[in-house]
Amino acid sequence: MKITQLRQTYGTTARLIEFAGFEMPVWYTSIMEEHLAVRSDCGIFDVSHMGRFRVKGPESGRLLDSLVPTSIASQPEGRSIYTLLLNTEGGILDDLIIMKLGDDDYLVVVNAINRERDLAQVDSSHGRMDVEVADETSSSAMIAVQGPRSGEALQPLTETSLSELRRFRCAEGVISGHPATISRTGYTGEDGFEIILHDASIDDPESALDVWASLLKTARPCGLGARDSLRIEAGYPLYGNEINERTDPFEADLAWVVSKEKKGYVGYDSIARLGERPPPVVRRGIVLREKIPRSGFPVLAADSSKVGTVTSGTFSPILRRGIALALIDSTRAGLQNQVRVSVRDAEVAGEIVKPPFYDEKLFGWKRQVNGK
Amino acid sequence: MKFESYDIPDELLYTKEHEWAKGTKEKVRVGITDYAAKTLNDIVYVSLPKVGDNVKQLTVMGTIESIKAVSELYAPLSGQVLAVNTALETGPELVNKSPYSDGWLLEVRPSDFEPDKGNLLDSERYAALLEELSNKQHD
Repeated sequence: MKITQLRQTYGTTARLIEFAGFEMPVWYTSIMEEHLAVRSDCGIFDVSHMGRFRVKGPESGRLLDSLVPTSIASQPEGRSIYTLLLNTEGGILDDLIIMKLGDDDYLVVVNAINRERDLAQVDSSHGRMDVEVADETSSSAMIAVQGPRSGEALQPLTETSLSELRRFRCAEGVISGHPATISRTGYTGEDGFEIILHDASIDDPESALDVWASLLKTARPCGLGARDSLRIEAGYPLYGNEINERTDPFEADLAWVVSKEKKGYVGYDSIARLGERPPPVVRRGIVLREKIPRSGFPVLAADSSKVGTVTSGTFSPILRRGIALALIDSTRAGLQNQVRVSVRDAEVAGEIVKPPFYDEKLFGWKRQVNGK
Repeated sequence: MKFESYDIPDELLYTKEHEWAKGTKEKVRVGITDYAAKTLNDIVYVSLPKVGDNVKQLTVMGTIESIKAVSELYAPLSGQVLAVNTALETGPELVNKSPYSDGWLLEVRPSDFEPDKGNLLDSERYAALLEELSNKQHD
């Protein structure tokens, strides 16, 4: 099993599991407490297992534009762009963030489980283009600093003005003396930052350990358990659950990722065809009256006919109810539609909603602070 | 006794599935062990049989859920359910806080008390089981 640069910070009480080939913490003390810390204060996550590639050179923007349905080269510097890798049928191979650090310098962050396949796709696509692709996963570390007080936790460690770094923007900077990329993004629904420390290798992880220790003075360490419950509450898809090669961006409720003007990327012909009519199924949220939905549970109409399947389910610490992300027959997926979820031997009533599941006036990065 | 940080009261009997049982041939109280509660983490929902239902030794009698996972509950003894801990409906975290007292699950009138007892582990053997599981994890 592989370990990350921050392995020695997990301590003896954290519960560890294997995730995408890495030994990672599911929780340090309590998923509930870690979840609520991120919603009310600040939590930090070791996300060094995620794949990080550098794509450099005069044609780097052109290469990335040939691979994803979102415009990349035409974007201004300093953008963090959420997008998808597709196959020729329009199915989703992965979701990813592309950080545009310069016109010829991009950092691509992908799911750990897909790192090798994504790298192979990028590598096999550039042909004679003037680009260099380098896997920086094992020479860098990555920490997600998430929550309404994440700026307060991170700002003392860097001269980069975090209040000027807007949502989905990124900047190169220095954190505690170490070269870093700072991106105002995350996977929790809250305001926050994802930081990449470029000089933290497995053999010499000092910079990552140093930054982690400094952040711990004000932030709570959080594991993959809270990361999952937070992203479900925020309504974010997870590769392998909501999205996979058999799901297209329209079904995944990710049509906003597809640029209307853009052509010629892998999967374009299929996407153009699929976009002409409503998808057969669509991703939605369901709030249950009782019990807890789990991945694979059937979604039923009032007459008990099957209309969908739960792709992720959890207990929502904010709603104190069971919530699900589900792929539902798009003719039955209207908001506020009443459905039932088959929970083992019971059928439980629920309502279709559009995530996030929490009240955005009170939680999440759009929340109103001090009545503003 | 204790194994690592897990309490294992000497006076209880245990299943290999991490339930405990305590009582007489009239009435046995049942719960999950400190190890099970700590391993599940943040228990948020408990589904139990109803009063009057019959449960069968070492078969599934309900489920217990944390934020992340579902785990099945096994009956330590066969018998009829006399009472369920209704406090868990609004406070499932009681199982985390005190798995051996306020976080009990249900009470059963045993139908085969003596033979069923013979199929359960005492605290020493349960501690040995936890040690075995711990060694497996560290391999």
